[in-house]
Amino acid sequence: MGVLNNSLPDIGPVRAVDSAIGWGRKSSIWPMTFGIACCAIEMMAVYAATFDLDRFGAGVPRATPRQSDLIIVPGTVNAKMAVRVKRLYDQMSEPRYVIAMGACVCGGGPYVKWGYNTVKGVHKIIPVDIFVPGCPPRPEALMDGILKLREKVGRNQVFARQAQTAADMDGRYAAAK
Amino acid sequence: MNETDIHSKLAGAVVSGVGALDESAKDPFVVVDPGSLVPAVTFLKNDADCRMEMLNCVTAVEREDCIEVVYHLSSVTHRHSLTLKTRVERPAGGTHESWIPEVPSVAALYASADWHEREQWDLLGVRFTDHPDHRRILLPEEWIGHPLRKDYVYPHEHGGMPLDLDAVPLYERDEATPSEPAAPRPSGTPLVQPPNPNSDRPDAGGVAPADSDGDLRSIKPGSNDGGGH
Amino acid sequence: MEALEMYTVDPNDDVYTEELKLNLGPQHPSTHGVLRVELKVDGEIITASRCDIGYLHRCAEKIGENVTYLQFTPYTDRMDYLASMNNNLAWSLTVEKLLGVEAPERAQWIRVIVAELNRIASHLIAFGTYGIDIGANTPFFYAFRERESIMALLERPSGARMLYNYVHPGGVAHDIEDGWLEDVLAFCDEFEMRWKEYNTLLSHNAIFIGRTANIGVIPKDMALDYGLTGPVLRASGVSWDLRRDVPYLAPYDDLEFDVPVGEGTHGTLGDCWDRYWVRMREMMESIRIIRQACPRVPAGPFMDKAMNRMYKTPLKPEPGEAYMRCENPRGELGFYVVAEGGTSPIRCRTRAPSFCNLSVLDALLPGTMIADGVAIIGSLDIVLGEVDR
Repeated sequence: MGVLNNSLPDIGPVRAVDSAIGWGRKSSIWPMTFGIACCAIEMMAVYAATFDLDRFGAGVPRATPRQSDLIIVPGTVNAKMAVRVKRLYDQMSEPRYVIAMGACVCGGGPYVKWGYNTVKGVHKIIPVDIFVPGCPPRPEALMDGILKLREKVGRNQVFARQAQTAADMDGRYAAAK
Repeated sequence: MNETDIHSKLAGAVVSGVGALDESAKDPFVVVDPGSLVPAVTFLKNDADCRMEMLNCVTAVEREDCIEVVYHLSSVTHRHSLTLKTRVERPAGGTHESWIPEVPSVAALYASADWHEREQWDLLGVRFTDHPDHRRILLPEEWIGHPLRKDYVYPHEHGGMPLDLDAVPLYERDEATPSEPAAPRPSGTPLVQPPNPNSDRPDAGGVAPADSDGDLRSIKPGSNDGGGH
Repeated sequence: MEALEMYTVDPNDDVYTEELKLNLGPQHPSTHGVLRVELKVDGEIITASRCDIGYLHRCAEKIGENVTYLQFTPYTDRMDYLASMNNNLAWSLTVEKLLGVEAPERAQWIRVIVAELNRIASHLIAFGTYGIDIGANTPFFYAFRERESIMALLERPSGARMLYNYVHPGGVAHDIEDGWLEDVLAFCDEFEMRWKEYNTLLSHNAIFIGRTANIGVIPKDMALDYGLTGPVLRASGVSWDLRRDVPYLAPYDDLEFDVPVGEGTHGTLGDCWDRYWVRMREMMESIRIIRQACPRVPAGPFMDKAMNRMYKTPLKPEPGEAYMRCENPRGELGFYVVAEGGTSPIRCRTRAPSFCNLSVLDALLPGTMIADGVAIIGSLDIVLGEVDR
């Protein structure tokens, strides 16, 4: 990154590189094979023939967190499972994204009042990018969530932000001197 | 055979501790003493006319004055079933922390009883003596208390995982209270650290953890209000 | 077991394998959810196993003690989420038994049809995911195609796609629309064709038979001892079906259907292939039941008149208790409810079929290869939402 920081004062070409990277990333979001509860069945329906998530390049579920970019948390997370969910998230490499699927994961759902061991929303454990409500969400809803995530991934300006920050820092550093 | 015939055979075979058949109930049941539970179940399983091959369900029920353990037995050969109950009286002031009732285990007779009894121990705190593997089954090993008891108190968190609705998320908590002091800054770095340029998320800085005691929880195991979420 | 004897760990030998402890799950593609099994393996052979469940424990029984009888119906959906209708049905029958009421005749026939449709949908998932477990990806896509048709059919009366909350105490929540029964019958004709396709895809495939025949044999005595029910029990040669032996809905008495039992076609009685084949044949029996039931749905009310008030004021059954069991796709689902006069029971116990069926796993795994272990877990067809509740 040091090369970029010092040798690219003009930010235009950096944005072009960014948009290429963003397009590549958003077109190959690989989710993790991870099912917890009822929502997992609707998630499977999204992978299956009728809805066919592969149209958006996200239909290749990976069995290990180390190869996946996206973790869809489909189903209630309880105290025993939360430790595992956190560990799975920690094992994923950056950039990583989280979709909270279903009412339980968005905020406790039907288990919010008397669930003595349920975690009221997976955002208490790991940071969430997209919330997909519903009990369970319809496959269309999950696909909408994934399309929203694609937009978000495509907008991510990796190098441009770094270059901008480096320029800001230089200016600030000069002013401080 | 119907329940009456089974009960008369059972009362004749097992010497003591077999109560009368309650025929007014929807599923007629027999109450036996905890001491004669194992002989009674052994008889029901092995007798040629009863042949209760299957133990469908083991349930512990907490009532005002006792905890009763209910066994649903059924026979595939003869297509009949029987409900068996045993009761342990509650001592004065017996709460879910101080009182652990004990009932003999039938896991040696039915393999299915193994997991059922472990579940009742886990959720209701009934100890089954002579059980081969007396551990919790659904909740984590280090869980405190037995949640299906009426006087159970809901925990705030378990194993570091927050269970409250308004708990502060783990990752925000870490930023608010760094676990170890920051390392001394090497010379030449800017005095003002810029925010992480790769982060999409708004900076969480300044979110102070709410009062951890007091009324942090909005959800309480309240009395039964007859619905109306 | 022969394999185990061949490869036993003997530290005095010159060459031996160190015993390895292996964790299977809770995040594993072939554990059907969040089951965790601690395995001790010697090379490829499993020497000991210990199930660890509870990763999906959702406090259903505690909730049952706090909500009203009607409000608990949607929670039963979320236990065995592949067979929501059957769960609703079992709960409704339990409450009806407690109250001493009976659903109107039209409701009973509708219940039979929706329960059998959901049984097919549930077995389709078992079929599709079992293929994936064994290494055949194609059946999954075929199975989900037909499942979508069933879900579209069940969505029309219930309004929901997967967790229906349709069968309520006293009847069903909504009446079926005109033309629905004809569409169900049309689906039956199509499904019969598709079913033959499945068999050419998977059932009689030589590799599939090689992977499943003689694997995970459950003898009859062992099946009864562990309290196994449903297709797992029937595959071991016990002809026990609550629909026929303890009819819980009146229409089942009038309907003609067979109870498929394992025969040991490709190996020993009670192996994985038998369990698979019993499920496949049960789908066709369900089709047979639906075909008989559709023309016989009578006109009349779909919900008990007196029960309608439960939507405004909660039900208050007399003190008492009821144990009701139903034949679910996975086996005997029982609800044991103890009422003491309030609007909610003081104990609401669920006897989950998957819970009992899974308990046999620790006894089956030792002595098998790891890959066969996956085949055994898949053949038990567990739903973790029901195991943990």
